[in-house]
Amino acid sequence: MTIRLVGVSASYPTLRVIICLKELGLPYELEPPASYQSLKDEDYIANKHPFGKTPVLFDGDFRITESRAICRYLASKYQGKHNDTILIPNDVHKAGLVDQFISYELSYYDPPLLKIVYQKKFVKNFLNKDPDPEIIKQAHEELAKVLDVYEKLLEGKEYLNGEYSLADLVHCPGTYCVYGAGHSDLWDSRPNVKNWWNRLCNRD
Amino acid sequence: MTIRLIGYSFSGPVLRVIICLKELGLPYELEPPASYQSLKDEDYIANKHPFGKMPVLFDGDFRITESRPICRYLVSKYQGKHNDTILIPNDVHKAGLVDQFISYELSYYDPPLSKLLYQEKIAKRFLNKDPDPEVIKQAREELAKVLDVYEKLLEGKEYLNGEYSLADLAPCPSTYYVYGTVTHSDLWDNRPNVKNWWNRLCNRDAIKKSIEEAKSFWENNENV
Repeated sequence: MTIRLVGVSASYPTLRVIICLKELGLPYELEPPASYQSLKDEDYIANKHPFGKTPVLFDGDFRITESRAICRYLASKYQGKHNDTILIPNDVHKAGLVDQFISYELSYYDPPLLKIVYQKKFVKNFLNKDPDPEIIKQAHEELAKVLDVYEKLLEGKEYLNGEYSLADLVHCPGTYCVYGAGHSDLWDSRPNVKNWWNRLCNRD
Repeated sequence: MTIRLIGYSFSGPVLRVIICLKELGLPYELEPPASYQSLKDEDYIANKHPFGKMPVLFDGDFRITESRPICRYLVSKYQGKHNDTILIPNDVHKAGLVDQFISYELSYYDPPLSKLLYQEKIAKRFLNKDPDPEVIKQAREELAKVLDVYEKLLEGKEYLNGEYSLADLAPCPSTYYVYGTVTHSDLWDNRPNVKNWWNRLCNRDAIKKSIEEAKSFWENNENV
């Protein structure tokens, strides 16, 4: 039975799951919702996501939400079944560190990224307002400090936990958007971070 | 070799790990940092947490940070070894749902709770500012909507995933602070499923004992 993924591929959390499905060699069907507003419909809330969000994944009758939780579930169930890609190491210590790096992404990396995305993409396209340069400047500075930490974390390593893992994957959607939106200097001016991002961009 | 936990027991993320350690029956040593400022020292950043936060857990030479990963690590390694408590089910689907509920806590439940906590506890005590009634009102409304969802999620269930799990443990610290120490308990008490869920959690030994530890630290360390 095919996996169904409810969401739009332009949304980061959905893109995160799409990358994970592809990495694990899993076929799936993408089902974009009727509209953004339809996520607040009673039916959507009752049968898809109680907080009216995407993505939602159906694996047969099993339904799961929240992109990082979905990725961990897919890795736990299917890793190694269709190909050799390891997203979560079997060793409990290495797996713990992958989890830690996913938490760094969520707690420190993502917030300033999202502020920039909100200003540059959402405010203009959906609210018809001009982006606020002060917020963008602040977010840029916050992200610079975070990337300084990542520069050290990546010292002597190709990926956050040594080998490629879910920890690197989760960073991709947001990074791709902000890198391409006029902030590439943040990554390119830090050699370890720059090389890390280039490696990620080169994965199929 | 004993587990070492760096942090203050009254800090939400640290308390989360303390509850987890107690639930799993694991002995540990709590090491409070010298001060909040010491978390920004070069040595702390290099050898404990690269973003200058707590908790940090040392299991022998192995170091891990971030409270929810620490909990998941402890469960993966030690669940079932000292007692029968199951925090993450072995079944991959049930475990996936526990993970999903932990994500709900992080994404939807915690943000308004943290705003309330900041206004009611931290602004006054640490920053000498008055709580902002507008922020409090907004946070309360946001939290009310989240608890409406939790009320449905808990329909016919004692715990979020049916049986007690890490998904129920994770929201305890901030719930305790906002429910128990400031005047917002009505948000939980007005919703029968949520109220019963919280009462069940408060009656668990590990949670009771951990909260006692956190309370006594507040009382004995007025000037932290």
